[in-house]
Amino acid sequence: MSDHEHHESHGAAYFRVFIALCVFTAISVAADLVHLPNKIMLGAIVLAVAVAKALCVMMFFMHLKFERAWKYLLLAPTIIIAAALPVALRPDIGETYYTPDVQQLRDYPEHEASLHDSSAAHH
Amino acid sequence: MTHAVAAPTLKMGIPIPNAKLGMWLFLGTEIMFFTAFIGTYIVMRMGSLGWPTDTHVTHINIALGGTNTFVLILSSYFVVVSHDALLTNQYSKAWKFMLATLVLGFVFLGIKGVEYAGKIQHDILPGHIPENNRQAMDKVINQFGVLVDQRLAASYPKETKREDQKAALDARIKTLTEKSGKSAAEDKELAEASALSKLNSEYVSLKEHVRADLSLAVPFAKFDDIRKEENARSKYAPVTLDEVNGEVEKLVKDPEMGPLASGLTPAHPILYGNLFASNYFLMTGFHAIHVIIGLFMFILVLMKGSRLCVDDAILVENIGLYWHFVDLVWIFLFPLLYII
Repeated sequence: MSDHEHHESHGAAYFRVFIALCVFTAISVAADLVHLPNKIMLGAIVLAVAVAKALCVMMFFMHLKFERAWKYLLLAPTIIIAAALPVALRPDIGETYYTPDVQQLRDYPEHEASLHDSSAAHH
Repeated sequence: MTHAVAAPTLKMGIPIPNAKLGMWLFLGTEIMFFTAFIGTYIVMRMGSLGWPTDTHVTHINIALGGTNTFVLILSSYFVVVSHDALLTNQYSKAWKFMLATLVLGFVFLGIKGVEYAGKIQHDILPGHIPENNRQAMDKVINQFGVLVDQRLAASYPKETKREDQKAALDARIKTLTEKSGKSAAEDKELAEASALSKLNSEYVSLKEHVRADLSLAVPFAKFDDIRKEENARSKYAPVTLDEVNGEVEKLVKDPEMGPLASGLTPAHPILYGNLFASNYFLMTGFHAIHVIIGLFMFILVLMKGSRLCVDDAILVENIGLYWHFVDLVWIFLFPLLYII
């Protein structure tokens, strides 16, 4: 193929992507080390960084940025199905599967207290 | 194509090599495979009232996880450099970077092995983790029983049953006591045998206290009388985990029994620890299997040696795609398992 014979090295571009990935990893670790006031903020930051890293890898290392429209045809269904799983399970297992009154929790006084609080709130 | 001078005619299908299409279809299924685990983890974690996140409890090592993230990113970079070198006819450079990728893959597995060894050492394994005080006490008793069995079997390897070993121990103590003071070696053996016998008694006492749910403040000798009493349950305090753990710590420090009791550790409940361990090992385990498969593919390319040429570019690109995917999975596993 012609692009083999006239291929230009992308080495410098790849190196920039690699440096970006390292910086993103450092941000994740730093976010954990500074002990942010709440877990949701930490989760949002590190997952956003993970998505940014994933995009870097997919676009440049996996060349998706330079591929044609087939990439959408191929990847969109799998991503939709993949995302559907947690969304579909959440209302079932994620919220109601574990009843609070289980063996694991019975010995925890603070949990007992919370059970009483919630039953008091119901009455 | 070099021979196609005129405008390309209408071509059916996707404009990429079949092998690459195959790899992308496979990666599509792999995305679903891993998101099934990641999704399950997210849902289970949301559905749980708590989750072990303290690294002193879970023995999650963020430094090791972060290092492994860096190792995989670097290896991903090396794969693209290798592929790039192939396309620009620098075959020996391509081979060398492929070798560096292989080495980094082994480094990743080595670090993973260190992490797994830590988990195994602290018994952070699915199904092994006590989730309440009762289970923690049972775990201590179990561990103690195994330890006593080991010590008895080491002293009396000919006997196979614990009762026989105990009887042999008692008989030996009796013999040695009768002729005590005559030989220093035998006195030393007597001291060791007595310590083992005492340790066994401590084990039996602790086990019966936990079984009967009676505080360690209640003497074991009184158990027979207590069993005959009515409403015994309301009269005596129940055993607590602090008492059991305190007893274990005392035994390990004891000058006489300490050497025999070494290895005995207190147990602490970890709420949702088993669910955590199951998820951790399922996700990191399947990821590690993918890493191992990737290493086999690198070896396949490396075995071509000096025969590596531009014709292998598609093969290397496909292996690279697979390896980047393995890196992608880790990019998500690292924050999900190690940080959040």
